[in-house]
Amino acid sequence: MLKITDLHASINGTEILKGLNLEIKAGEIHAIMGPNGAGKSTLASVLAGKEDYEVTSGAITFEDQDLLEMSIEERAREGVFLAFQYPVEIPGVSNVNFLKTAMNEIREHKGMPALSAKDFLRLVKEKSALVDLDASLASRAVNEGFSGGEKKRNEIFQMAMLEPKLAVLDETDSGLDIDALRIVAGGVNTLKSANNATLVITHYQRLLDHIIPDFVHVLYDGKIVKTGGKELALELEEKGYDWIKSVE
Amino acid sequence: MSGTLIDFCKQLEPTALKLPASLLQAARDGVEFQHHFPTTREEPWKYTRLGRVAALKLTPVKINQSAERLAASETIDIIFEQETWHCAEPTAGLHINFSADLDASAWNACTLQGHVQHINALSAQGGVAIRVDANTKLIKPLRIIHRLQGAHTGLILHHQLILGNHASAQVEVFFEGTSEDSYANVLFDFFIGAGANLHTDMLQQTKGTHYGFHTQRIYQQKDSTVALQTLTAHTHFTRNEVEVFSQEEGTHTQLYGAFIGRENNHIDNHTYVHHTAPNCTSDENYKGVLADKATGVFNGKVKVYQDAQKINAYQSNKNILLSDLATINAKPELEIYADDVKCSHGSTTGQLDQHALFFLRARGISETKATDMLIKGFMAEIVGAVKSSHIQEALHALLD
Repeated sequence: MLKITDLHASINGTEILKGLNLEIKAGEIHAIMGPNGAGKSTLASVLAGKEDYEVTSGAITFEDQDLLEMSIEERAREGVFLAFQYPVEIPGVSNVNFLKTAMNEIREHKGMPALSAKDFLRLVKEKSALVDLDASLASRAVNEGFSGGEKKRNEIFQMAMLEPKLAVLDETDSGLDIDALRIVAGGVNTLKSANNATLVITHYQRLLDHIIPDFVHVLYDGKIVKTGGKELALELEEKGYDWIKSVE
Repeated sequence: MSGTLIDFCKQLEPTALKLPASLLQAARDGVEFQHHFPTTREEPWKYTRLGRVAALKLTPVKINQSAERLAASETIDIIFEQETWHCAEPTAGLHINFSADLDASAWNACTLQGHVQHINALSAQGGVAIRVDANTKLIKPLRIIHRLQGAHTGLILHHQLILGNHASAQVEVFFEGTSEDSYANVLFDFFIGAGANLHTDMLQQTKGTHYGFHTQRIYQQKDSTVALQTLTAHTHFTRNEVEVFSQEEGTHTQLYGAFIGRENNHIDNHTYVHHTAPNCTSDENYKGVLADKATGVFNGKVKVYQDAQKINAYQSNKNILLSDLATINAKPELEIYADDVKCSHGSTTGQLDQHALFFLRARGISETKATDMLIKGFMAEIVGAVKSSHIQEALHALLD
């Protein structure tokens, strides 16, 4: 599904990713862990197409297409979803209206007819229940006045509505209490299928108690320096990132 | 007969309005004193040049005094179109006449401020005089439409709306049509009786190289409430002057505005709120979005006079510039002479929120559509304050 080959990316002339390789197949959950400044969020931003980052060399293919050639919105329409680390508040734009627009743009891209109002509302009801998001939040302005936990649940709600092929969760666990963490993880697990894949970017092991990864990668200084199974996360938690640095 | 605007002022017999001699003289002196047209050296015109307006060759539009009757509809319509004005049958407690019927006694409360009002006083060709009797609550909105057309026309109107004590009315005002190298100077005097309630939504969307000057003067008596929404979209040149005189205790005034400019549009909003009485509130919120080489001006002034204690005056102006060549000149002003008041003002100008734009695009929404959504969201507060369904629809069409 996703293949990243020797990816180099920089921001304002500073190189952050320095030859990253990663392959994700349908049905898999991958976790990327690493210390602050390793390039975790840069990777998420580059996948989503954020223009502040410049890819200087390397390649990313998604479903056999050149992802780097696609605009931000084309990537989303093709099925790449980024759950934001810091969800944006957009006053005056209603959550429901924005989602309806997004869904219909994606459907149009796939040659599908627009959703009827009735079908859309049924989906809103069904999917917001999945992450325990109050239906009244769905009709408010995007993230405006939402608590930290509500913002993250709103991200997973959007993911549930848009049904992406590849979901990239950028530190979705940051700022969540235990209950919210469980709800968010539950949502992600429910949405998982043999046809989609999830990339979980996290600083801590605790999210991986709830979302069990097939592979854990350690990102350090712009490269993946170690790959293992879910037990690698526990080992990291125990030994700290200094252990990886010393392995380097 | 055609000529420049100043030729009009000199040649026309200006007494379509029964102005008191003192006001007339003040207007004459004003025009003369300012050497006909103020320059950018004068503060109220610092960012709005009148050279093109001074050079316009104009033929005055003379309105026939008798109205063509309009059939009844969901709104009580008054339409100005070329020389003709059309008017629906008034409902009970409502009186609509041509300006010969203007209530001259109301003039005693007026002073003339500046160039636009001077020109209007000297040369107004008439206007509509509307009176709502005390305790009358109009059920249907009044809709006043100015349909501009042709080239080189000079339309100068003076309207008056008098709301009796405890009366209420909803008014919709439109400036529309296409007109080239033309001039309009349309002034409204709103006299709001004690406990009366006025809601006015005004949409200016004239196409072509039209120069529009609009004045709203609002005189509020005890415990009255006024909400005025001024909305300007894609006009070549617009100058709005809103002046509020809170004359007695307990008044509430809401002034909201939205302006959307593109190409070489120039949109100027000047507001002036006079708080002369205690225990009053005013809430002002103007938002602008400017693209291409459009320029905007916001100058909002609130003056709290010495005896006007317990005033709550709020003023906000926010602008978004969509291009490097778009310009806004914003100046919020507060002048306070009382010591027990709560006043705030602020102005911000920026670009579209790039994080929000990225977020929307990352959900599959095209850049164009995402930009439109953000602008619509930015304007939502103002659009939400509009009661007129006609204007709501027009705004949604403009913002989509």
